[in-house]
Amino acid sequence: MAPSYIYKVCTGGEEVLMEAIDRNNREGIKGWLNPSRYGAERISYWLQRLTGVGLLGYFIGHVYETSSLTNGPDAWAAMLELTQTPMGHMILLLVIGMSTFHSANGIRLIFTQGGKGLGKPGRPDYPYDAVSLNYRQKSGIWIALILAAAAMMYGASVLFGGE
Amino acid sequence: MEANKVRESQIMKIHYLTGIAALVVVAVHIMMRLIMPYNLSLEYENVIANYHNMPYAFLLESMLVLIAIHGFNGLRIILLEMRQSKAWESGVTILTIAAMIAIIGYGTRTIIVANGLEMG
Repeated sequence: MAPSYIYKVCTGGEEVLMEAIDRNNREGIKGWLNPSRYGAERISYWLQRLTGVGLLGYFIGHVYETSSLTNGPDAWAAMLELTQTPMGHMILLLVIGMSTFHSANGIRLIFTQGGKGLGKPGRPDYPYDAVSLNYRQKSGIWIALILAAAAMMYGASVLFGGE
Repeated sequence: MEANKVRESQIMKIHYLTGIAALVVVAVHIMMRLIMPYNLSLEYENVIANYHNMPYAFLLESMLVLIAIHGFNGLRIILLEMRQSKAWESGVTILTIAAMIAIIGYGTRTIIVANGLEMG
């Protein structure tokens, strides 16, 4: 990105160079991970992306894992020995939590993009809280987190309960 | 040339629709693991029996396509949020579409081969 220059216009109309900074505002992944500006909505934005990438990784691994079926019962058994372990079950629990949060929060986002739950636009008064970041949005995020926790508990009962 | 491009708003609609549809098919897929004890449902004979069940094989194929489209488009969106330039956008789009096709191809091969396998 080209450097930006900030000028001060003097009373005589003369421009004085004050500062020369390379204003590269593209923070990239650091911008995502910077927790200093986090509100509930930003946490949900970050979690939606993080869970999405995690689920895509699991999906690719799962497609590869199931392909061992085509090599016969022994290859399938060897793959199960690798994945059906306490560590494998912990990863599966994480996947259950991620997929539940991603789905519930994704449904909230679909409604939000359709204009539902955003509230009516109002006059901007001090302290200038955005009307769109209201209790409906916040409760949607909490519901997604609670559903994810409940799904993980149910998953743990199935995976570790010996059913 | 620009007129031939799919608008981002259309792509977002596809993203949402594939997400909702994937949610439904994944729910059925998980239920298939829970209609019998979990460990038993993973036995070779039972898994192959799932693939021999044609409606379920179609469900697996649709799940593969829906999740691949939704997942790789999601990855494309994340990568485009991180950086913008014409070359980056074209490169990311081409790579994600190629990865999507590759995973659909690989998964479809498993479904077809497993569908023709003998049990036990």
